[in-house]
Amino acid sequence: MNYDVTVIGSGPGGYVAAIRFAQLGFKTALIEKYNALGGTCLNVGCIPSKALLDSSEHYHQALHKFEKHGIKVEGLGIDFGRMIERKREVVKQMNKGVEFLMKKNKIDVHYGFGSFVDKNTVKVSKEDGSEETFTSENIVIATGSKPIIIPGVEYDKKRVITSTEALELDEIPKKLVIIGGGVIGLELGSVYARLGTEVSVVEFTDSLIPGMDKSLGKELQRVLKKEGFKFNFNTKVTSAKTEDDVVKITAEDMKKGKSLEIEADYCLVSVGRRPYTDKLGLENAGVKLDDRGRVEVNANLQTNVENIYAIGDVVKGAMLAHKAEEEGMFVAELLAGQKPHINYKLIPGVVYTWPEVAGVGYTEEELKAEGRKYKTGSFSFRASGRAVASMDVDGFVKVIADEATDEILGMHMIGPRVADLISEGVVAMEYRASAEDVSRMSHAHPTFTEAIKEACLAATEDRALHA
Amino acid sequence: MSFEMKVPAVGESITEVTIASWMKSEGDFVEQDEIICELESDKATFELAAETSGKLSIVAQEGDTLPIGAVICKIEASVGEPVAEAVGADASVVEDAAPVAAAPAEGPKATGEVVEMNVPTVGESITEVTIATWSKEDGEFVEADELLCEIESDKATFELMSEHSGIVRIVAQEGDTVEVGQLICKIEVMEGGAPAAPQAEAQASAAPTSVNGDANYATGHASPAAKKILDEKGIDASQVQGSGVNGRITKEDALKAEKQAPAPAPAKTAAKSEAPAPVAAPSGDREVSREKMSSMRRTIAKRLVSVKNETAMLTTFNEVDMKPIMDIRKKYKDMFKEKYEVGLGFMSFFTKAVTVALQEWPAVNAQIDGNEILYSNFCDVSIAVSTPKGLVVPVIRNAEKLSFNGVESEIIRLAKRARDGKLSIDEMMGGTFTITNGGVFGSMLSTPIINAPQSAILGMHNIVERPVAINGQVEIRPIMYVALSYDHRIIDGRESVSFLKRVKELLEDPTRLLLGV
Repeated sequence: MNYDVTVIGSGPGGYVAAIRFAQLGFKTALIEKYNALGGTCLNVGCIPSKALLDSSEHYHQALHKFEKHGIKVEGLGIDFGRMIERKREVVKQMNKGVEFLMKKNKIDVHYGFGSFVDKNTVKVSKEDGSEETFTSENIVIATGSKPIIIPGVEYDKKRVITSTEALELDEIPKKLVIIGGGVIGLELGSVYARLGTEVSVVEFTDSLIPGMDKSLGKELQRVLKKEGFKFNFNTKVTSAKTEDDVVKITAEDMKKGKSLEIEADYCLVSVGRRPYTDKLGLENAGVKLDDRGRVEVNANLQTNVENIYAIGDVVKGAMLAHKAEEEGMFVAELLAGQKPHINYKLIPGVVYTWPEVAGVGYTEEELKAEGRKYKTGSFSFRASGRAVASMDVDGFVKVIADEATDEILGMHMIGPRVADLISEGVVAMEYRASAEDVSRMSHAHPTFTEAIKEACLAATEDRALHA
Repeated sequence: MSFEMKVPAVGESITEVTIASWMKSEGDFVEQDEIICELESDKATFELAAETSGKLSIVAQEGDTLPIGAVICKIEASVGEPVAEAVGADASVVEDAAPVAAAPAEGPKATGEVVEMNVPTVGESITEVTIATWSKEDGEFVEADELLCEIESDKATFELMSEHSGIVRIVAQEGDTVEVGQLICKIEVMEGGAPAAPQAEAQASAAPTSVNGDANYATGHASPAAKKILDEKGIDASQVQGSGVNGRITKEDALKAEKQAPAPAPAKTAAKSEAPAPVAAPSGDREVSREKMSSMRRTIAKRLVSVKNETAMLTTFNEVDMKPIMDIRKKYKDMFKEKYEVGLGFMSFFTKAVTVALQEWPAVNAQIDGNEILYSNFCDVSIAVSTPKGLVVPVIRNAEKLSFNGVESEIIRLAKRARDGKLSIDEMMGGTFTITNGGVFGSMLSTPIINAPQSAILGMHNIVERPVAINGQVEIRPIMYVALSYDHRIIDGRESVSFLKRVKELLEDPTRLLLGV
C-alpha cells in the first residue's frame, strides 16, 4: 500500500481529516481537483462571502450610520473591482495557510481529479492530461456538494448564476432576483442590497431560513424588509431565462394560484446543494448511494465498503463546514482505535446577514411536534446597553428549556455577532446546563453575551433584569 | 357577554401596528391565552393572545393598520362544551400530582444542618490516605458512631465512624487518594431513627432548578471529553460517579474511572500498514486482571526500592542448633502455658537473644539521621507480621526489659491487631531493630531488606534436621539458618558478624540469657 489513508477532497472536512490522520501517525494523501485547497468553503463559500459581507457592511455603515455617529463622509463611493480583489486576496491567504498545514503535517497533496479504480486504488487525473494511480488502505470521501439548479431555470453562469458566480461579478446588479430564501441566498442578497441592488427573494415555502426556529426567520424578514428586500413566499419558480442582458423569471403564487413575471438583470439560484459524487467511480469500489444521492454511511461514517468512509456534505446531515470538520476528526480518531463521538443535535446553524442569525438544539416547532413540555425566555437586544451603544438593536436571544428540569433544549438568536455568541449555547448544552445554571454565571458587562444571560433568567422564572 | 380585544400598547414610540396574520378564523372557538393573531410594527412582531375564551369575531383584517387602542376583534364568551372539557382535564392533572407532593408520613426529620466529614489526622508522617471501602452508599442513612468507611494509609487501615446520624453524601470514592483534612463525605443531619424507606429522601429533594449539590436530570452526564474516554475504556457512564456540578462526569472522573469486570477489550485495529504477524492463539482460559495498587502496597514498594538504593546493604549468615531451645520448650511449655496463658514460642528466645546482642553491639541498634548517628539505649524490636493486605511491623517496646511471657503476650496482642487491621500508627512507629520470620512459610535462607530507618534486620528461617559434626561425630540436629542484613554505612563487618554470632551463642545455650554471659 502506498498510503494508510487517502482523503478525496480538500474542503474543511477533508483537509481537517487529513491533518488529524497525520497527527495520529497515518501516512496520509489528500486529493484536490482544483488548484487551490480548501474546497467550497474556502474558495467559493463561507470565506469569500464573509469577505464581501464585511466590505459591504462597512459601506452600508458609512452610508447610513456614520452620520448618526457624528462622522461626516464626503464623496463616498464603491470600487467594486477592489472589493472583489480584496476578497480574492483573503481567499489566497487562506489557501496558502492550508497548503502550509499540509506541508507541516507531511501530507502528500495530489492535485487532480480523484476517482476509484477499486476499493483500495485511486486514480488522480491531472490538468495536463497525465494520470497517477496509487493504493491506500483506507479512503475517505470528502467531495462535498454543488448548487442545485431547478428545472426550467437556464443556468448560464452570466446572468442566471449560483453562489459561485455571485462572488465574482463584474458589476453591481441593479436588480437581483434570488430563488430560495435560505442561508446562501440571504447572505449574498445582503451583500448586494447594501451596495444598492434592488433585491427580491422568491421562496417556495412560507418563511425564510427554513429549518431554523421560526421566530428567527420572522425577525430576519422584518429587518431585511426595512433594508429594501422584497419577498414572495409560497411561490414556485417555473422558469428563468436570459434574453438580451435581462433575466425573465416566471413563477407561480401557489396560495393565490396566479402566475407572476419578474425581470431582473441577475438571477441567483440558491435553492440548496446536492452531494457531489459525479465521476467519482463509486461503482468501481462498490460504494452505495442512498435514495437522495448521498453516500450511504452507518453511524461510524463507514460506507458499505469496509475501508471506505465518507464525511461532510456528501453524506446525510446539515451541509455545514463545521459539521464536516467534526466528521473528519471523528473518522481519523475512529480508525486510530479511539472512540470519538459527535452530538449532531448540537451543531449550530449560522447565517451571516446583519443582524446575524444562529441557533442550536431543538427549535420550538420541533418540541411542539414532539409534544414535549417546555418554557421559553427571550431578551431583546433593544434592551442591551452594548447593542444600543453600537446601534445594533434589532433581534433577540431566545432560550428554550425543559419545563420540569430547566435543562436548556435550544438557543436561538438573531442580532449582533450572534454567530459567535451561539458557542455559549453549545457549551452549555454539551454539559446539559439548565437555564438557571447559565444565568448564574458571570457575563461581562457591557457585552452582547449578556442577552444570553438575560434570556436564561427569563426562561428560569421570568426574572430578566433589564426587560 | 362580548369582550373587545384592542391593540395593546407595545412600546413607547409605537403608535400603530399592522395585522400581520390571523391564526384563527372568524367564528372559531378560542381558548384564553391562545395566540389569535400576529401584529407587526416597524420595530418588532408581536403575538396577540386571547384575553378570554369564547367565539371569535374578527374586526380588523390581515394587512389593516390600526392605531393603539383600536378594536381588533370581539370574543363572545360562551357556556359551550369546550370550556367544560378543559376544566375536566385540568382537574385530573391536579389529582395525579397530589401523591407526589405528599410528605413522608413519619421517620427522621431533616434538621437542615450538613456536617462535613474530613480525613482525620492519623499519624505524624501520614499526609494522604486511600478510601478502602464505603460501608454506606451515597444517600444511605447512617447512625452516629456507625462505621462509615475504611481508610487505608501506607501504614495501616482505619475505620471512620459517623459523627452524626443522617444521610450520607459521598464525596471521595472508593480507591480515591485523599489528603489529610480533605472532605470525604457530607452528612445531612437528621433527628430520629433510621427512615423506614430510604427512597423517600432522595425523591423529596428533587428541586428542579437547584444548581449545586443534588442529583438532577444531568447527574451522570459525561462531558464531551469524558464521554470519549469512557467509551474508549468501555465503561458505561452509569457506572461512574460524577464529581461535577449535579454529579456530571468530568474528564478527570473519566480518567480515574476503572472498569468493573474485566472484559475483552473491543478490538478496533489501528489502521497501520504494518499488520502484526499472526501468532497462534493460546488456548484455555487466560485472563489478566488489573487492580489498583493500594496505597499501602505503593508505599511498601517505594520504600523497599529506596532502601536498596540508599543504603549499603549486605547480609551475613549463620546457623543455629535449635536442640537446646526445643528441649527447654518440651520441658516447660505446659508449665509456662498454665502460668502465663500464652504458649512458649521461639520468638521470645530470639527476641531476648537479640536484645542482649543489641546492647553489646549498639551500632546494630543505631540509625543514621542526616550526618549523625542515633544510638538508642533501649531495644524496640519490630516484628514483621504478614496480613492479607501486606506486611506490617508492630513494635515490642523495651523488649530488653520484658520477661519471656511478656514478649510472647505482646507478640500475640500485636499480631491479632495487625490481622484485624486495627494497629495504630504509634504501634508501628519507632522500632530500632526488626525480626522477620520467613521460616513460617518454609524459607530455608533469604536476605531480608532493612526496615528503614533501622540499620539491621534478623531473618529467621525454617528448622530442618541436618547432619552436623559435633565433637567429631555426625549427629542429626534441628538447624535454623539465620541471616542478618545490615547497613554497612554504620555497621562494620566485625560488629554485624559478632552480633549474629552472639545471637547464635545465646540461642544455642539459653542459660547464658539467664546469666547474661
